[in-house]
Amino acid sequence: MADKKYVLIVDDDPDLVETVSMILESKGYDVGKAYDGIEGEEAIKKRRPDVLVLDVMMPRKNGYQLCKELKSNKWTSDIPVILLTAVGEAVPTTTYTHAEGMSVEAEDFIPKPVDAKTLVEAVERLL
Amino acid sequence: MEKIERIRVGGLKVLEGGACVVSSSPSGGNRLGEKICAPLALNRINLSLLAHVAGDREVLCTAAPEGESALSRLQFHAGPDSSLELLPGTIVLAVYPHSNRPEIIGHFIRSLARGRIKIHALASSPSAISAVLSSRRKKAAVNQLFEHFLFPSFDSPRDFFSAQGPPEEYVQKVVATYQEKVIKVYAIIPRPDLDLWGMSVPSADVLEGFASALMDLAGLGLSVPFLVAIPGLGGKEFLLSFSLAGPTPEADHGPEVRRLLKKHLPDSRPMRLTPVAGIFLHGPHFGDRYGIAYTLLQALAQARVTLLALSCTISSISLIIRQHELALAQMVLGKTFEAQVE
Repeated sequence: MADKKYVLIVDDDPDLVETVSMILESKGYDVGKAYDGIEGEEAIKKRRPDVLVLDVMMPRKNGYQLCKELKSNKWTSDIPVILLTAVGEAVPTTTYTHAEGMSVEAEDFIPKPVDAKTLVEAVERLL
Repeated sequence: MEKIERIRVGGLKVLEGGACVVSSSPSGGNRLGEKICAPLALNRINLSLLAHVAGDREVLCTAAPEGESALSRLQFHAGPDSSLELLPGTIVLAVYPHSNRPEIIGHFIRSLARGRIKIHALASSPSAISAVLSSRRKKAAVNQLFEHFLFPSFDSPRDFFSAQGPPEEYVQKVVATYQEKVIKVYAIIPRPDLDLWGMSVPSADVLEGFASALMDLAGLGLSVPFLVAIPGLGGKEFLLSFSLAGPTPEADHGPEVRRLLKKHLPDSRPMRLTPVAGIFLHGPHFGDRYGIAYTLLQALAQARVTLLALSCTISSISLIIRQHELALAQMVLGKTFEAQVE
């Protein structure tokens, strides 16, 4: 069990968490789940993920905030982060911007809806 | 006083500012597609929840300002034998993940029933169980859930409410609306070898009995991948439809399920259709984009696949069809939506 790579998914859409965990578990990863930024933060304290898959738009603490905090902490700055975002040209009205996303130093961006192949490739690239 | 053992789940969600339309018509065919979803799609009305049982009725939720508009569009297209009712001021309250466990879904229904909170409708997604309630009962409902569930992010209802963002934040999320030429979904997951049960109960007031039956079903090792509950007009009568799956497809739990349902709901006449199949479209985010349910129904109608029951809630669509139509339905949905098909 311990040699399985651990991927933590943090998203407030429970159906997405379910789907992404199903995809990653089928590829042999150990998957943790959290449903908002603060719960994600707690989960990271309990077990350090090998990769963090993080939604941007979440209640309490959004993905950018959590990513920024992780990257500015020397104990967590090297946790690879994949941001899942509906942010893009197709969503001009949102308050979450790409510029903000770039500034938080996430390792990768994947637009929603997530293509399973793209996600698995992104996770594998970061391990 | 009975001691309630709280079940630990991942979280809860409240979608506020909604209105609900209950529709009923005895006519068959693709009524849901052509008479309900088509006019809503044409008028760019987003659905936040849709539950349907074939040949009978459906309930749909939309944003409150759209409620009157949705009703008038549906009235315009409704046949003479159709009935429609608008319930303004509703919320969708969801608990997740249910992991298809009947005891979690049962606990959810029981908690609301014990708080005497009237349930307008129930709908499941692959991860969540949602209830449509009056917005006036929001606090009471959340309080009830905290008596029956443990949520890792919140110690109390007060914690939960204080963590909710201001309404502006919700609006910003909702306006993130976009339309795709081909609708993307995360995955289309088929699930064969299910039962579909249907039964009518006199009103939502007896749902605690149904909750008890679900909790007993957990003892048989059954899972509940699908569930909808739809009211009759005026809140009279309540139609329950749900799918069950056993640990092995060979074992027939039908007689035992029927016995448990009759035990807790003695006046009910449960009907069973087997085998049926479920198809779960994870994450088309229909709530943010109008017309997704219509696209799905059109595709199924063109392929002559008969829809038995449907649930759209959270971000996913769950549908139940006849087992022998599964391959055809998978093929047509694979062409209609851009997805990884398992």
